[in-house]
Amino acid sequence: MAAKESTGPGENAPLIRLRDIAKHYEMGSQLVRALDGVSVEINRGDWVSFIGSSGSGKSTFLNILGCLDRPTRGQYFLNGAYVEELGPNQLAEIRNREIGFIFQSFNLLPRATALGNVAQPLIYRRIGYRRRREMAREALRRVGLEDRVDHLPNQLSGGQRQRVAIARALVTEPSILLADEPTGNLDSRTSADIMQLFDQLHREGQTLILVTHEEDVAGLGDRVVELLDGKIIRDRRAGEPLA
Amino acid sequence: MFHVIFESTRSALVSILAHGLRSFLTTLGIVIGVASVIAVVSLTQGMSAFIGESFSSLGSNSLTIQSHTPIAEQMRGVRARLTPEDLELIERRGEGIASITPILYANRSTQVRYAAQTTFSQIMGTTYAYRDVAQSWVQRGRFIAESDNLTRRRVAVIGETVREDLALPENPVNEYVDLGGEWFKVIGLLEPKGEIMGFNQDDIVLVPYATMVSLSGNQARQDIQIQLSLSEDAEVADVTRQLTALLRNAHDLGPDEDDDFTINTPEQLMETFDTIINMVTLVIGGIVSISLLVGGIGIMNIMLVSVTERTREIGICKAIGAKRHHILAQFLIEAMLLSLLGGLIGLALGYGFGTAISSSIESFPPASIPLWAAALAMGFSAFVGILFGILPAAKAANLDPIDALRYE
Ligand SMILES: Nc1ncnc2c1ncn2[C@@H]1O[C@H](COP(=O)(O)OP(=O)(O)OP(=O)(O)O)[C@@H](O)[C@H]1O
Ligand SMILES: [Mg+2]
Repeated sequence: MAAKESTGPGENAPLIRLRDIAKHYEMGSQLVRALDGVSVEINRGDWVSFIGSSGSGKSTFLNILGCLDRPTRGQYFLNGAYVEELGPNQLAEIRNREIGFIFQSFNLLPRATALGNVAQPLIYRRIGYRRRREMAREALRRVGLEDRVDHLPNQLSGGQRQRVAIARALVTEPSILLADEPTGNLDSRTSADIMQLFDQLHREGQTLILVTHEEDVAGLGDRVVELLDGKIIRDRRAGEPLA
Repeated sequence: MFHVIFESTRSALVSILAHGLRSFLTTLGIVIGVASVIAVVSLTQGMSAFIGESFSSLGSNSLTIQSHTPIAEQMRGVRARLTPEDLELIERRGEGIASITPILYANRSTQVRYAAQTTFSQIMGTTYAYRDVAQSWVQRGRFIAESDNLTRRRVAVIGETVREDLALPENPVNEYVDLGGEWFKVIGLLEPKGEIMGFNQDDIVLVPYATMVSLSGNQARQDIQIQLSLSEDAEVADVTRQLTALLRNAHDLGPDEDDDFTINTPEQLMETFDTIINMVTLVIGGIVSISLLVGGIGIMNIMLVSVTERTREIGICKAIGAKRHHILAQFLIEAMLLSLLGGLIGLALGYGFGTAISSSIESFPPASIPLWAAALAMGFSAFVGILFGILPAAKAANLDPIDALRYE
């Protein structure tokens, strides 16, 4: 990975460290502070849920964590690298190797099958066709979709699409799994299935960062961080009473 | 690098096939462009191969000397001539000559009559040597002999077309034909030679040179042609140089006066035709290339639409790790493949057109595509694809991942 910090923290240092991250949008004369000075540290193997009302900046925050978006200011230290120093191709490399992103709206490639979608990130790792499909098949098996590999996204139910998206995020064995409202579009039964899958991944040692506005979904993790108007207003262990 | 190209080609093919009709319409400009180029090239190339064959029938080692009056001289009413004296001079002093014959053409095509049939034909007076010089053989009867000339005999050797036009019997020997009011006895029938550049070599009547001279009125002003064939060890260039010097001297030409005659070889004639054909090919090819450019712009247009359409997809690919060059290669290769496919279809269509045209027009040579033309057409198509794919591909590659993902 590029830009490793040689003098940086050792193995016990947090996987992610954000310092005073802000994201501002200029809308004409108005300045929208989607994020306004967020500092947070996340350790390897943690399951952290970010919660907050609509428009509180959760997705904006997750996009910055996922190296999709750059903050207006602040420092982002990810697994030994200062992200703000990296160029577009190095960011692409990080997105490919370190991060598994599960989007609010799935974001599957419409013309590729479930298997093709899951195999897609492996193309950018120069993994050959057969090996790629093998790995993708295995990832789909893990999310319980082995019998839907050749379906196109529009031939799958919402829950199945979500699981394809999860398989795609898992197939690269990323350091961090990021999920934006993973149960937002699903019924409670399917949500429970998905959350069970996350729980299992967490047990296997996967670092998990979830964005949700549902308190009971957030409660499943180790730690809940509350956002309001782009600021952290509360950072508590899961299960602690709200008040 | 290879990996990127391979994967890009795979996904480009998927995407081209996914929009079959649109891909085809996109590349139609290229299809039409390449098809026209190939049709034109295949026809002209077939033609020049055919001309090459025809000219070898003229006798490969022969020279023709004709009088030549530059336009400026013509305006002053001067006409250059080749005279029997010139012929005699060359016979006496020319080197490297195997056989030589004068030819005297009738001023205009002459009416030929046999029984109730009449036709017009080219009459030429010549000698027995013409047979060797022009590689002209008789299939029936005999050729003009030296004695025919000496006694100004009224005999004629006719071509196959003349025999057919006059409805003469299969063996016309010993029949009498009327040439411009004089009776001639047919002594021979020439072997058919076919057409050359629209000139029917079988529509011809040969009579003894001396007979022709005596029938042609004003003998002093006669302008003859001289045809000669070279001996085996003679070089065309050497002979041409020597004859030029001889004739210039005989015609009293000063050092800064132009030749008042021309010395031609069949090769020269053929080269001239080849040059003309190549020029036509180039000009038409150039015009048609413009349609390839237009086709390229069509591809660029659709590729730009396609980039916009697939903005989200591009965003997704970037979000899961695609770098700039991955996206760039994918769109560039897609544009190139589109164009190349169009080129291939165009190649097949063009060859089809060429063949259809050449086989529907009788006596037209069969179409043929030289390899260089096919390779050039393909190369040019690929080039057009890449050239016009750069802009859309760069646009796609430079998209910001988050903006692309948010695109509705
Ligand atoms: N591209 C943008 N341009 C301008 N403003 C933006 C942009 N993206 C987000 N915002 C603003 O930033 C704020 C935070 O948006 P964000 O999408 O992070 O909210 P969220 O917490 O994810 O909400 P939800 O729960 O509805 O998904 C919103 O007020 C939004 O209007
Ligand atoms: Mg959101």
